[in-house]
Amino acid sequence: MRKLLNRYDLSPVLTLAAGLALLAWVGDNPFNQDLFALAATYSLLALGMYIPFVLAGSLSMAYTAYLAFGGYAVALVATRTDWPMVAGYFIGAAASAVLAVVLGFATRRLSSFFLVAVTLLFAIAFEGWLTSTPEFSGGAAGIGGVPRMELFGVEMTRELFIPVLLVLVWGIGVLVDRLRKGVFGMVLRASRDVPVAVEASGVAVPTLRLVALGTGAAVASLGGSVFVTFNQAINPETFILHVVFLALFMPLLGGQSTAWGAILGALIVVQFTFNLGSVGDSGTLLFTIAVLVVLLIAPRGILGYLGILWRRLVPLESEKERTHGA
Amino acid sequence: MAHESTALLSAADLNKSYGGVRAVREVSLDVGPGEVVGLIGPNGAGKTTLVDLLSGTQSADSGRITLRGRVISGAPSRRARAGLARTFQYPQLAPDLTVWENILLGRLHRRMGSAWGIMRTAVRSLLRPVHRDDADEVDRICAALHISEPQRLWSDLTLGEQRLIEVARALAQEPDVLLLDEPFAGSDAEGEAGIRRAVATVSGRGHGVVLVDHNVDIVASLVERVVLMDQGAVAFEGPPDECLRSPEMRQVYFGTATAQAQQQDAADSARPEASATDRVQEEGDR
Amino acid sequence: MSPQLFLSIIEVGCFFSLLALSFLLVLDGAAVFNFAIGPYAMAAGLATSWLVTRLGYPVLAAALAGLAIAVVLAAVTDVAVIRPIEARLGGAELPALVAVAATLFLIEQAAGTIFGRGDFPGQPLLGFEPIALGSAAMSAPQVTLLVATVAVFALVAWWLRASRTGRMLRAVGDNKHAAQLLGLPVSRIRGIAFILSGLIAGLAGLLFAHKSGVSFTSGLQWTLWGFLALVIGGTGSVWAPLIGGMLLAAVQILSPYYFGSAAADYAILLVALLFFALRPSGLITRKVRT
Ligand SMILES: Nc1ncnc2c1ncn2[C@@H]1O[C@H](COP(=O)(O)OP(=O)(O)OP(=O)(O)O)[C@@H](O)[C@H]1O
Ligand SMILES: [Mg+2]
Repeated sequence: MRKLLNRYDLSPVLTLAAGLALLAWVGDNPFNQDLFALAATYSLLALGMYIPFVLAGSLSMAYTAYLAFGGYAVALVATRTDWPMVAGYFIGAAASAVLAVVLGFATRRLSSFFLVAVTLLFAIAFEGWLTSTPEFSGGAAGIGGVPRMELFGVEMTRELFIPVLLVLVWGIGVLVDRLRKGVFGMVLRASRDVPVAVEASGVAVPTLRLVALGTGAAVASLGGSVFVTFNQAINPETFILHVVFLALFMPLLGGQSTAWGAILGALIVVQFTFNLGSVGDSGTLLFTIAVLVVLLIAPRGILGYLGILWRRLVPLESEKERTHGA
Repeated sequence: MAHESTALLSAADLNKSYGGVRAVREVSLDVGPGEVVGLIGPNGAGKTTLVDLLSGTQSADSGRITLRGRVISGAPSRRARAGLARTFQYPQLAPDLTVWENILLGRLHRRMGSAWGIMRTAVRSLLRPVHRDDADEVDRICAALHISEPQRLWSDLTLGEQRLIEVARALAQEPDVLLLDEPFAGSDAEGEAGIRRAVATVSGRGHGVVLVDHNVDIVASLVERVVLMDQGAVAFEGPPDECLRSPEMRQVYFGTATAQAQQQDAADSARPEASATDRVQEEGDR
Repeated sequence: MSPQLFLSIIEVGCFFSLLALSFLLVLDGAAVFNFAIGPYAMAAGLATSWLVTRLGYPVLAAALAGLAIAVVLAAVTDVAVIRPIEARLGGAELPALVAVAATLFLIEQAAGTIFGRGDFPGQPLLGFEPIALGSAAMSAPQVTLLVATVAVFALVAWWLRASRTGRMLRAVGDNKHAAQLLGLPVSRIRGIAFILSGLIAGLAGLLFAHKSGVSFTSGLQWTLWGFLALVIGGTGSVWAPLIGGMLLAAVQILSPYYFGSAAADYAILLVALLFFALRPSGLITRKVRT
């Protein structure tokens, strides 16, 4: 039994089970469905943040713009073209990746503070731009009346779209976690901690970071796309700037050691900022305090400590099991 | 100059200043096929800076570097792909990678040498584990250098073991020229033997090695030619035994030439700080 | 260009310069870009307005309280956030950046929770008649901001040159370890840098709030402006932030004037991209001793 537990990575199974339990909780309660869709959006956002930020140590803050790219791409494709709506997902992801690479390229030789500054400035300018272009983006009112998506000939009602969201988020969670453990994630983690060594080994660290930034942006933009697919509308205020700070905190709070930590963090954010009626306005404040505490005294995050607990219960048999056996 | 045509690695007139400090001045260095060159000199002589300039970790203010007759320049990763590998005076190992994975880093430049290669590797790593031949090569290197328990983490290693892992990573690159920055500092007998094997492997393949060290004895036992640096410049170049006996060697390490040595010793006892501190520094560094 | 426009540039430029100077002090003393500086300024401005409009405090007392808040926030950032992170993780940059970002957001949220999430008008510190300058006139808040800016820059320049602590400041930021070995009081100097920076940021915030009001979310934008002004000016001298601030203000005021209302944000983004890509060390860099 112990051998079995250590041999296979159980996280996909465990997380799918947790997801299904969540699905049961959602049921046909419309408020819960809204929460679930938001949690899915935030999860994709957090997974997108996870790749460059946690794995590669590159912090981009234009994530609200990536969400908006994904969202507007879907809304525009659905209302202005007769292409299938899924095209919007790809367009948004590609545009986000390109933008992330361009902003990253401009600051590739500078300290990470510069990337943070330029990406925040972009996010601000982009929000302003959306408001000031009514012909294109619907201006401050945004784009409403987005038709429901059709998937394999089936119209995606809210109820039907919820399980699709679960599968999508879970699938991308599995992929991101595999990315972390595979060769690419390994090199990213090395480039975060010892960039000179990775450079000296022949892999260009700036290029590596740009690829990570582009991939992360594309994943996050999917979050915007699913949000619009579910809610059928978007405007410049849908993803306000402070969401990017929440996105930064999600993997920290959930735990950086696996991609699932990012998703856990996203769920906690939704709980704190939208579902805690009693604390009202101060939910975000409480959440931020929690993050700062984690940062200062509990840097492994929730899953990190759960992992330690798990190792106590199911110790490794031999050194060999410590990592995937190549 | 006669070397130039046959040399594997050839550096000419390298210069580098940090602010007002001229860390490397007008240094030229040739490394021939199968040759092991020792680079010695006191603290602050500019040895690490020279290695940095060759490997691209720092960019030279002026000078020219060729590898197999081709000019190499730009980022360290480019030079690594061209055939240079190096280790660091302060070992640079990724802390959350195992020993095995750290060595594997040395193999990856052939697959992740371009943006396209990086993206392909990213996609591939979603589906499949490490390439068979990369894994085999890392296993082979571990066996050859007697690196046991390759699944250990960085935090479990002694300084000497860390150096050995760095050498293994550099060896995994299959370089034309291997630059080792004080690989023996902090090593135990086993680590030292491993590093000697690595040097022998590289030079046995007809590739070059530059070996930086303070320990003149170790250097002398491994190299045919020594380059002595002092205050950024080359002070002497030749066979190790000649170097040891040369007036430059005394001048550099003891601040005085042979003829004045006794006089100086007498002066030292009266005013002990002057050259005694130099020696203490030397000792402290080993 | 109308004289009134010119006065606007001076006014906004003073604000940017003060923020950039606040950045520079912490950068010199602790080698960190303290992104929480904008929120210090916001907290001072917002607290002042809130005390005056909600609790009926006299303006000067409220302003002093606002400044005190900014100073305390700066000191707490250093002692409770940045130092522990540095102690645990060494000089690694990303953790410090994340901690500073978290602090920024925390101050913003705390201010929103305490003072409310609305817009507040700024409070004029001194009331006097506008001063006529040809066809234009400088209002009392504009004059106050200008005089304060000149005074702050002169004082800081004097402090860096003439006082022992000031002279040691740069040595500490350049190489904390070496400074410690030399026996410099690193911790004290660094603390002073943070406190001064909080004071200057707070002053900037409460003197500028009258221009466009202040709300709990103003801090982020202010941080970015100050950072950009610092990057444009460079870190080579105390006066560099002044130059950077004025140039950035010119861009910000003139671009909407020539290219329409939304142009200011685009122009600033463009300036940032250009500067980061081409001249990250700024216009004024420190001369290297040779
Ligand atoms: N990054 C740097 N910034 C400023 N000065 C430097 C830097 N690196 C080296 N120096 C200076 O350049 C000179 C040469 O240093 P270098 O490290 O190359 O010497 P070294 O011969 O490797 O000494 P050691 O035996 O102590 O390793 C020294 O004076 C050193 O202080
Ligand atoms: Mg050295």
